[in-house]
Amino acid sequence: MHYELCLGLFMPLLGFLGLMSFSQILGRRSANIIGCSTVFISFLCFASLLYTFSNPISLTLFQWIPVSGIDAGFTLYLDSLSLMMTLIITGVGFLIHVYSTGYMDHETDYARYFAFLNLFIFAMLLLVLAQNILLLFVGWEGVGLASYLLIGFWYTRPSAAQAATKAFVINRIGDWGLLTGILLTLVLFGTVDIVEISSRVTTEYARGAPILVLLCVLYFIGAIGKSAQLPLYTWLPDAMEGPTPVSALIHAATMVTAGVYLVVRMHPVFMMAPWALHLVGIVGGLTSLFAALCALAQTDLKRVLAYSTISQLGLMFLACGIGAFYAAMFHLMTHAFVKALLFLSAGIVVHMMHGTTEMAQMGGLAKIFKKTHWLFLIGVLALSGIPPLSAFFSKEMILEQEYLAGFYTLFYVGLTTSTLTAFYLTRAYCLTFLGPLKINNSSVKEGPPAMLIPVGLLALLSISGGFLGCCGSDAILEGFLEKSDISLPEIEPTTFFTPEAIMAMIGAFLGFGSAALIYTQYRDRLGNTIQVLKNSFYINEIYWNLFAKPLAAVSRFIDAMVEPKVFDGLIQGSVQVTQGTAQALQKMQSGQIRSYVAWIALGMVFLVIYLVL
Amino acid sequence: MDISLMIFISMAMFAVGVIGVLTKRNALIFFLSIELMLNAANLLFVTFAYHWGNMTGLVWVFFVLVVAAAEAAVGLALIINLFRSKQVVDVDQYNELRE
Amino acid sequence: MAMTVPWAQWFLGFLLVFSSIGVLLARKPVHASLSFLLTLMSLAGLYLQLDAQFIAVMQVLVYAGAILVIFMFVIILFQDAYHKIDLLESQSSRPLLIFSVVSFLFTLGLLGNALRYLTPSQRTVPKDFGMVESLGKALYVDFFFPFEAVILLFLVALIGALYIAKRGD
Repeated sequence: MHYELCLGLFMPLLGFLGLMSFSQILGRRSANIIGCSTVFISFLCFASLLYTFSNPISLTLFQWIPVSGIDAGFTLYLDSLSLMMTLIITGVGFLIHVYSTGYMDHETDYARYFAFLNLFIFAMLLLVLAQNILLLFVGWEGVGLASYLLIGFWYTRPSAAQAATKAFVINRIGDWGLLTGILLTLVLFGTVDIVEISSRVTTEYARGAPILVLLCVLYFIGAIGKSAQLPLYTWLPDAMEGPTPVSALIHAATMVTAGVYLVVRMHPVFMMAPWALHLVGIVGGLTSLFAALCALAQTDLKRVLAYSTISQLGLMFLACGIGAFYAAMFHLMTHAFVKALLFLSAGIVVHMMHGTTEMAQMGGLAKIFKKTHWLFLIGVLALSGIPPLSAFFSKEMILEQEYLAGFYTLFYVGLTTSTLTAFYLTRAYCLTFLGPLKINNSSVKEGPPAMLIPVGLLALLSISGGFLGCCGSDAILEGFLEKSDISLPEIEPTTFFTPEAIMAMIGAFLGFGSAALIYTQYRDRLGNTIQVLKNSFYINEIYWNLFAKPLAAVSRFIDAMVEPKVFDGLIQGSVQVTQGTAQALQKMQSGQIRSYVAWIALGMVFLVIYLVL
Repeated sequence: MDISLMIFISMAMFAVGVIGVLTKRNALIFFLSIELMLNAANLLFVTFAYHWGNMTGLVWVFFVLVVAAAEAAVGLALIINLFRSKQVVDVDQYNELRE
Repeated sequence: MAMTVPWAQWFLGFLLVFSSIGVLLARKPVHASLSFLLTLMSLAGLYLQLDAQFIAVMQVLVYAGAILVIFMFVIILFQDAYHKIDLLESQSSRPLLIFSVVSFLFTLGLLGNALRYLTPSQRTVPKDFGMVESLGKALYVDFFFPFEAVILLFLVALIGALYIAKRGD
């Protein structure tokens, strides 16, 4: 069992190393095969572990930091939560790798792309399999790095390079929170082992202890940065500069879910600090509403999906905020399938239209993309919450738990968000695929099978995935995750048609229907999009003026003032001192006999004084 | 006999010798001051040989005398040579041994 | 045979110090060497006081008789040269010299202070203390090796002096 674990974890790393080392000599086909097969082997390993899995496994490969007081080993921990995450990562990851072989067929820098993708898979696997927080942090940083490399993949484009830097810097701000949290953990618990911390926190600390609240808030700051929640979300829309498969994998299905994973993994600690949990819920709820509003006014297809991702992540944090960790994980899974489906099918359109993502240039593409538009439609319906597609079950579970736990405000926020989600997704579909055909370029046609088949598989998962986790008290996923002590705070209702579920369904249909109506019939009478929403309430500009410009001014000041005077002065000063000393000492070698005798006499004086006194 | 007087005299002579070395620029007087210092040391040796009743001090004085003679000979030869190349007897001009 | 004239050592001591100061203060080198001669003589007298008869005689013979004569010769050789010294500037750093002189004198004062309270020797001087025979015995028996080494040194110095002073080709 240990072999499969190690093999599954390290195959993508080997793929990364191999592809980077031999990137010059590998042909397209070999890079394809190597890149995809490593992830596939990884997926098979974890799938086989699924069959033989019974109890959590803890595997220490070597003593990584044997310093007393930290004692962190390179320890992997496989329980149902991490196994579920690895299956999602490698499964969806593999499909996206196959898709990329079609998407990137016009590229020259082939091996580098797959190398970075493999690096990402490895780092993400390390993150979910880590038993101690330090190793998790290694994976955390690794996915940040891979994200930077992949967003800025077309590095000759200045907008891409800037977007990559922005993503990295904002991630860094979140990482500060996580790192401080890790240090605080060391102080409080003396260890970084998650399993140990989880078992000790209930006995050692009082519920609601302020220090625990601080700890959870610090962890959550890290999650905010990584999962693009409210103050630190601005990097995700800009990250759409990267290739679409990258957006699908990293910024929809896996990397941004690392924040949710962190909160769920540390849920024993969070449960002991109710204020922090409330904060998580509030931030999640606000973010989901905010992002849904912004998504209404976007003109770029990928940006609609980006804001949608932020919104759905907000929903997941909303679920965590009331203690419904299982609902968050269930929604994570369905969202991974659906968002990947949406991104990849949008990617087919983008790729076949030679890179344009503006919806203003699209329209009526259903006539050309006969298969793709169905796939996109499935994704739209699923994420809108139309039953019986998968995301309906997960969203409905979240909303229901909200209502049952008594958080009515958050319930209505979630409900509004769901309605808005249905609206803007349908709007995107209508603007892209329906209506009159705006282009008459005959070179645009349907995507190749390499791209269609993975998307089709994802569509199947989107349809059927909901049944894994819901409907009855013996849902497979629920039982599976209960082994890791992840469950729901409230008992699920036995009947299906509870008032909350009906309200959710009404909201979904309302959003879908109204958007369909507006954007098909009254399309020509629409004005421009609401600028405030399109520019996401001008938060980017606020950040720029508040933070970036003063920092740039300080940098310029230091460069002009401090650098030449202080640093160069120090260096010059040491040169001067050395030269001065040398010149002073040179006077001792004058060649004058009497001076030499004088020095001898002085030496004798010192000697006598030393001996006599 | 009280030897502290002898010690005092010896130290005075040595001091005069050192002052002479450090002050005089004429090479010959310079040398003479060195001889003064040597004689001061001799006096000290003899004094303490007398104080302890040990012949070793006197033997030592003998050797110092011999070495002083040899050194005076060689040193004066050197001064003659230096004078031939520099045309002065000023020790401050004999400054080739430097940086 | 210690001389028991009590004021002899005081007289000789003063003579010694003043004549050595006279070496420094003399204006002409010839006067300086004459003053040095007086120093040597008084030193020989002091040696006699200290029962070192052989050494006293050796001092007069070697120092006053040989070394001083060599000095005199060289002084005569450079009779005119010493005028030129006043034309040239002092090249050594004056403050350094003055400071070293002062500190040296201070140190000597310290040393003298430490040595002030030596008690007079209780031992009686052995009978043939400074005599030729006992000195000779010491040289040829106890200190034979240094004796031979010094002879070698003498030889080397002799040859060296001859070579250096030769008029170069």
